[in-house]
Parts: sequence; C-alpha cells; structure tokens
Amino acid sequence: MTPIPPPEDETLRHHSFDGIQEFDKRLPNWWLLTLYGAIIFWVGYWAYYQWFHVGLDGPQEVTREMIKIEAARLVAAPTADNASLWKMSRNPVFVEAGRTTFNTLCASCHTEKMTGAIGPNLVDQLWIHGGTPTEIYATLEKGVLAKGMPAWVPVIGAKKSAEAVAYMLSFHKEGEPIEVQVAWIPQAPK
Amino acid sequence: MSDQKITIEFNDKVVRQFLLASVIWGAVGMVVGTLVAAQLNYWQVNFNLPWLTFGRLRPLHTNAVIFAFVGNMMFAGIYYSTQRLVKARLASDFLSQLHFWGWQLIIVAAAITLPLGFSRGKEYAELIWPINIAVTLIWVVFAVNFFWTLAKRREPSLYVAIWFYIATIITVAMLYIVNHLSIPTNWLHSYPVFGGVQDALVQWWYGHNAVAFFLTTPILGVMYYFLPKAAERPVYSYRLSVIHFWSLVFVYIWAGPHHLLNSALPGWLQNLGMTFSLMLWAPSWGGMLNGLLTLRGAWDKLRTDPVLKFFAAAVTFYGMCTFEGPLLSIKSVNALGHYTDWIIGHVHGGTLGWNGFMAAGMIYWLLPRLWSRPLHSVSLANLHFWLGMVGILLYVGAMWTSGITQGVMLNATTEGGTLLAYPNFIDTLNTIRPMMLMRVIGGSLYLVGWFLLMYNLWKTIATARPVNGTIEVFADEGAIVHEDKITLVGTFLNPPVAFSIFGVGFSCAWMFGGDFLSIAGMFGLLLCVVLAYAHFESRGKRWATWYDRLLVNSAPFTILVIIAVAVGGLVQIIPTVLVNRAANVEDRRQLPYTPLELAGRDIFVSEGCYNCHSQMIRTLVPDVLRYGDYSRLGESIYDHPFQWGSKRTGPDLARVGTKYPNIWHLRHMEDPRAISVGSNMPNYPWLFTTATDAAALPAKIAAQRQLGVPYPAWTDAQITADFDRQAKALAEDLQTAGGVIAPDKQIVALIAYLQKLGKYETVAPQSSATR
Repeated sequence: MTPIPPPEDETLRHHSFDGIQEFDKRLPNWWLLTLYGAIIFWVGYWAYYQWFHVGLDGPQEVTREMIKIEAARLVAAPTADNASLWKMSRNPVFVEAGRTTFNTLCASCHTEKMTGAIGPNLVDQLWIHGGTPTEIYATLEKGVLAKGMPAWVPVIGAKKSAEAVAYMLSFHKEGEPIEVQVAWIPQAPK
Repeated sequence: MSDQKITIEFNDKVVRQFLLASVIWGAVGMVVGTLVAAQLNYWQVNFNLPWLTFGRLRPLHTNAVIFAFVGNMMFAGIYYSTQRLVKARLASDFLSQLHFWGWQLIIVAAAITLPLGFSRGKEYAELIWPINIAVTLIWVVFAVNFFWTLAKRREPSLYVAIWFYIATIITVAMLYIVNHLSIPTNWLHSYPVFGGVQDALVQWWYGHNAVAFFLTTPILGVMYYFLPKAAERPVYSYRLSVIHFWSLVFVYIWAGPHHLLNSALPGWLQNLGMTFSLMLWAPSWGGMLNGLLTLRGAWDKLRTDPVLKFFAAAVTFYGMCTFEGPLLSIKSVNALGHYTDWIIGHVHGGTLGWNGFMAAGMIYWLLPRLWSRPLHSVSLANLHFWLGMVGILLYVGAMWTSGITQGVMLNATTEGGTLLAYPNFIDTLNTIRPMMLMRVIGGSLYLVGWFLLMYNLWKTIATARPVNGTIEVFADEGAIVHEDKITLVGTFLNPPVAFSIFGVGFSCAWMFGGDFLSIAGMFGLLLCVVLAYAHFESRGKRWATWYDRLLVNSAPFTILVIIAVAVGGLVQIIPTVLVNRAANVEDRRQLPYTPLELAGRDIFVSEGCYNCHSQMIRTLVPDVLRYGDYSRLGESIYDHPFQWGSKRTGPDLARVGTKYPNIWHLRHMEDPRAISVGSNMPNYPWLFTTATDAAALPAKIAAQRQLGVPYPAWTDAQITADFDRQAKALAEDLQTAGGVIAPDKQIVALIAYLQKLGKYETVAPQSSATR
C-alpha cells in the first residue's frame, strides 16, 4: 500500500504561472525503478555485445543460422541424379507423395492428367526444357518465369520437388525417346 | 516597485488564425488518410490517375497531419499559453502574421507539389528544396518571435511548458536543416547530400525526433498549460517535470537507429538505438504521470466536461504509445513488427490518440475564450469524443492484429525451419484484408468526429465576436534581480551540469574507447555517479536553488537545451559520415547506375514506391529465405536518397534485379493483378505514355559526381548516347517478348532501374582495420 505522504509533500510551490500552481511530489519508486533498470540494462547489453563481444552481431548470427539451414537441407535432400530419380519413380512411397504435391500445386496449369492446359503436356514425349530427370528437376529449380512457371524448389524444398518429378516420371519409361518441342500453345484449362 | 498598473492586450488574433487553420487542414489530412487507407484495400480508388495514386498521396497525408494539422495546432497553443505564462504580448504582430501566412503558403505548396510527384524520397522530408528553404525561414521567424517575447517577459521564471517550447524550436531547426541538406539539379529536384547508410541514419535521426520534437514536446508543453487550467488543479510534481524534461530531451535523440534494427546499419548504432529506446520509457511516462496525476481530485469533472475527457484519453494514449515504442525497439520484437501494420497502428495511437485528442480538448477549451460565446453544444463534443475513441480503438486494434498476423506469417517456416511456410507474399497480404477494411471504418469514425467539431465550432463562432485576452501588470514588473543572473561560466560550473557533462563524457569513453579508455571510462562513470549522489544527498538544496535561478535565465537555459539535444546526433552521425564511405566499404560495393537506370530511379522515388517496398534484406533468417542474401552496407552506398523503406505492403526489392524478365515488369506495372492475383498495387498506365526526362540527366549526373558517385567525366552527348543505347536495347528485348513500347517512355527507364537492384562488385578485404 502507498504510505501516507509526509505533510510537506502536499505543499504547493510558492510560484503561480497564470494561475497554475505546482506540487512538488516525490517521484514514484516504481517509476524510478524503470528508469534505473533501463540504464542498468543498457550497461549490461552494451558490455555483452560491444565491449566483450560475447553476443554475435546480426550478420554473424544470420550467417550461422543459414549454415545450419543449408546443412539441414543437404541432409534432407534426396540425391537428384538421373538414376536415383528413375528409381524413385518406381517406388510407390515417393510416387504417392509426389501425386499429392503435384495435384495441389502443378495441376492448376498442367491438369491432373498432365495433358497440359496453361502449361505444357507432361505425359507425351515432347519436352521444351529437356526431358531427362535432372533436366525436369532443373526446370523446377529455376522456373520459367517469363512463361509463368515459378521456381518451385526454393519454395517447396528439394524433397517435395524430387517426389513431384518422380510422380511425373512414373508416367514415362527410362530410355523412351525425347523430342524437342519449341513452344507450348496454351489451352484453356479443362 | 511602482504601483502604476498598465493593461496588456494579448495577440489572440494569430491564435484564432492558427486554430482555424489547424481545424481545416486537420480535416484535409484525415480525408486524404481515409482515402489512402481505402486504396490499400480497393486498388480501384487509385483511379489510374498519377496524382491520386497511393505512393504520392501517402506523403501528402503524413505531411498534412504532421506539419499542417499538428503544426498549426501547436502554434496556436504555444502562442496562446506563452503570452499568458510570461505576461507579455507577442513581440511582433508583423512576425506573427508572417509566421501564419508563410506557414499556410508552405502547406499549399506542399499540397500541390506532392501529388504532382515532386519528392525528395525521404519520409516526412519529401518536400522539394525551395519549400525546404521556406520552411526554414518561417521557422526562424517563429523562433525570433518567440524568443523576443521571452526577452520582453514580465514573469521572470520560465514555466515547464516554456521549457518544452524552447526544446521544440531549437531541435526542430537542427533536425530539419541537417536532414534537408541537398544539391539541387533544377528548381524542382535535388539529391540529398548524404547517401546510403549515412542517409538512412540521418533520415531516422530526423524522422524519430520529428516525432519527438514536433509531435511530442510541444504537445507536452500544451498539456502542461491547458490540462491544469481545465482541471483547475495544481500540476502533480515539479521535480518530476524537471527530471522527465531533461531526460526526455537528452535520451530521445539517441534512439533514432531503432528504425533501422537488423538492417545494414553498423551494429553499435543498432545497439545504441535499442538501449536508448528502452531508457526513453521512464522519461516519457514521467510526462504521462504528471498529466494524469494532475487530474487527482478532478476525476468527477470528466463525466461532464468533454475537454477533460479528451485530455485524459490523450495522455493515456501517450502513455500507451511510449510503452509500445520501447517494446518495438527490442530487436526480437522489431524482427516481427517492423515493416508491418503494427507500426502503422503504433503511430496512429500517437497521432489520433495523443495529438488529435489533445488538439480537440484544446480547441474546445479555447473556443469560448477566443470568441465571446460558450461552446454551441457540449453534448456534440461528447459525441465527438466517443466517436473518436471507438474510431481509434477499431483502427489501432485492427492494425495490431494485422501487423502481428502478417509478421508471424512472413516469419513462419516449415520443414524443420528450412522453408518458408508462406512463400507467396500475396498470401500474407490477403489474410489481413479484413483488418485493412476495419481500419478504414475506424478512421472514418474518427473523421466524422472531426466533422462534428467543425460544425460545433462553426455554430459557436459564426455570430460571435472575437475577443482578445488582457492582463493588468505593474509597469516595471518582472525585472530579474541581479544576483539571480547566470553568466556563461556559471551555466556550466554548477553541480548538476558539471556532473552530467562528466557522466556523459565517461559513458562515451567507456562505450567507444579502446581497452584502456573503456576501463577508465567505466571507473570514471562509477565515480561520477557516486560523487553526484553523495553531493546531492548532502547539498541537494544547492542543486534546487541553482535550478530555480536557471529558470529566470532564458539564454543559459536555451544553451543547455542545445547541448543536451546535440550530443546524441553528434556521437552517431559524425563517425558514420567519416567512416562509412564508399572508399572504406568492405566485401561488396554497389555498381553505379547508368544514365537510364538513374532516370528510372528518380521515377521510382517520384512515384513514392518506397512507401510500400523496402530495399533492405535484414540479417534475419526469414528475410534471407524470402529475398536472398542479407543487404550489405556497401550495396546502397551511392543511393542519394537511400531507399531502405519502412513498410512492406509489397515485397522487398533489394535483390529484385534480373529475378524476373523485363516483360514481367512491363505486364506487372501495366496491371499488377495480371501477374499477381489479389495484388493491391495500383496500375501505372501513365508510365507507358510519359516520356522520360532525359534532358535533366547531365545536371543530375553532375550533382551525383559532386556527391562522390564515381561517374566518368561524360559530355552531355555521351550521356544521351548511353541513355538511348540502353533504352533501345531494353525496348527491343521487350518487343521480342511481345511488349511494344517506345524506348523513351518512363516504364523503360523504371524497368532498367529495377533490373539493376542488387548488382554489386566484390571489394578485396582491406588488411588495415578502419574502425
């Protein structure tokens, strides 16, 4: 509880400005504590980061974090060479996961049957940006921004991308002919 | 003392003028505010017209409410209260009129030039250089008028309100001049002398302290006069006034870098910005306490008196915002809240709650005293209060929700922290759409409240007679007793000032000195604190007596204020200007813009793109995941002005260069929704029909060279040739992709600029340390 203030605390200063008078009350203790507390925090914070350099600065911190993320990505990423991708395309676990990803993200342009609409057909043997597994994966990695195909790997990650490629490849056979297609004429989505 | 009495009539005419101007400009500023808020939700209300587009109108809104609405209100309050507090009529009727009309002319000039796209590209400092000079001159007129009045005062001692007015006049002049230093390239365009990180630091030293010394200190002064008057109660605590005034004006200046946390600003400045912001909490709350506790014993009047309602709510909002400010300055909180609507909510709590309600309370209190008639309707004023209150709560609540929601979504990761949960920026924007609508509703309610004030004012004064206040004084009243005079030496040679100077000196030695100096500074600081404490405990009376004497000496008082507000800026800005230059840049240095790209950049600035797009990838994992490698200090070193931005209504652009093909940008600027479904960005059709001002380039490049950007000594013909060559190549590339556009159009220059963003050269690390 607030103690009863000493009587002199309620006395007014003798001066009056245009009728305005002033008490001279003591500063509240909790207020002084916040003031002193902030000052002490400043000393500690400065010593931690600037004097003893214990704390990392922004660039050091983010670099360290990004290295960890890169490492985690490398561990999580499946090997995306031709042989492995073909192997995945024959593994139902990968294909099933890839189907979900494809139908959520890719089907709006390529259709669920992959016969093409806004984006090109993916089940025929005509390919604009290359039809080997690694070439297909590279298209997902870089995107075809001018045509509206986003770069998916940075967005959904290496694992889901590889699964989606595996799902696509499950409609193809290793060694089938790959023909070059110049452009895809967009068709209305069915 | 002779007992002959004379009557002084106050200059209340200029008070009435400023008051009416504030009411009118306030309405204009708020109408524009409501419009820009609606534009964020409904892109159609940009009307495809250049001068009605968000990027140009948002600066108009901020400048109008700060400088026109609060500015005029502040002048009315300062002139009314100062004359009464010092028992003297304003020194010069001519200067008063010059001040009033000059200021209105500046506002009109701003209201014309900003929608036309004439902008310096720095927030709250957008006005072009001829207007900057006018502002400076009129501010000097104000200062002369004010200090001349002080010199003629019949009340020797300066009341706390006057302290705040002095700090306002001095500091705004200092901030304004430094942040507006520019090299003109023609009558309507200039480049700021500072570039990149230097410009960022100077800008936010200005921006933060414009909030402090334009929107806070003068209004605190107004509070110290009008609140005890309206409550008819003594001010709660004089010693709290003393402590919170000096700590506020000293600490505020240091906190500017909290607008640049986690950016490319050197770490020591960020740490100063954060810690001093936290230290600012108590001084700010000192003002709130003195306001609220003055109402002790008058709370019952709040039920009936709209004036006190407004004041009590305003001071409460002040307390809320000055708690929120330090909170947002904590680096980790800032990582979430910065660039989002949370900041918008924070500033509107301050402007609508603190400034707007202080203005309304003051106006309702003044009307019957400046005109010979009681307020037309008290119940309308009460209705205004409640409409305004609900409006603010809706507005601020919506912006908190919106900002935190978007911040959380933008920072959310998935797959063990390796991927963004919402990689598409537009998803986060469309999630907060309902909150953006709520803001429009809240803002509109507040505006309706303001219209009620205008109606009430009109009904009160339409048939009323203006009256000027008078006072009877003794002819020779107010002469300062000789022994109370303080000399220049005496200004510094006294315990409070001497201990403060030593304390600050030792602190700086500790913070910035080398190993030995740091330790010496630490011990010096400790010793200084102990000695000051001991001295105060034993000779505290002498401190108090000295301060009472200082209050009758306006010049020494002003000198001490100048020193207190100058220290923070000097410590932060001078090293940055000396060290963080292009020549000293390590790792990466920006590639200078070609003539076409520079022209495109000026279009970017002129359209106010920085109001929604930052160019600063922070040292935060979600920023790096979303936009690429974090921005280095050297990557914007030639940018006059810097364009780091303060709000991301759209995504960051620091590394947008070559991310998309040229045709993408062409289609996007033509109709953003064709590329990005659900976008709220305006269309920019005029960029496809307006020609780029290539003729201005030689003067612009000459100015850039003067500022140290390494352009070769090109002739005008070489500049034109380079411009034409690049524009033609870009237009040809667009044509190949199906976009037909003449090379001389603005869109071509703008695309060239956007494609340059993020391009740098690698600098070999220097062996010798520069710090």
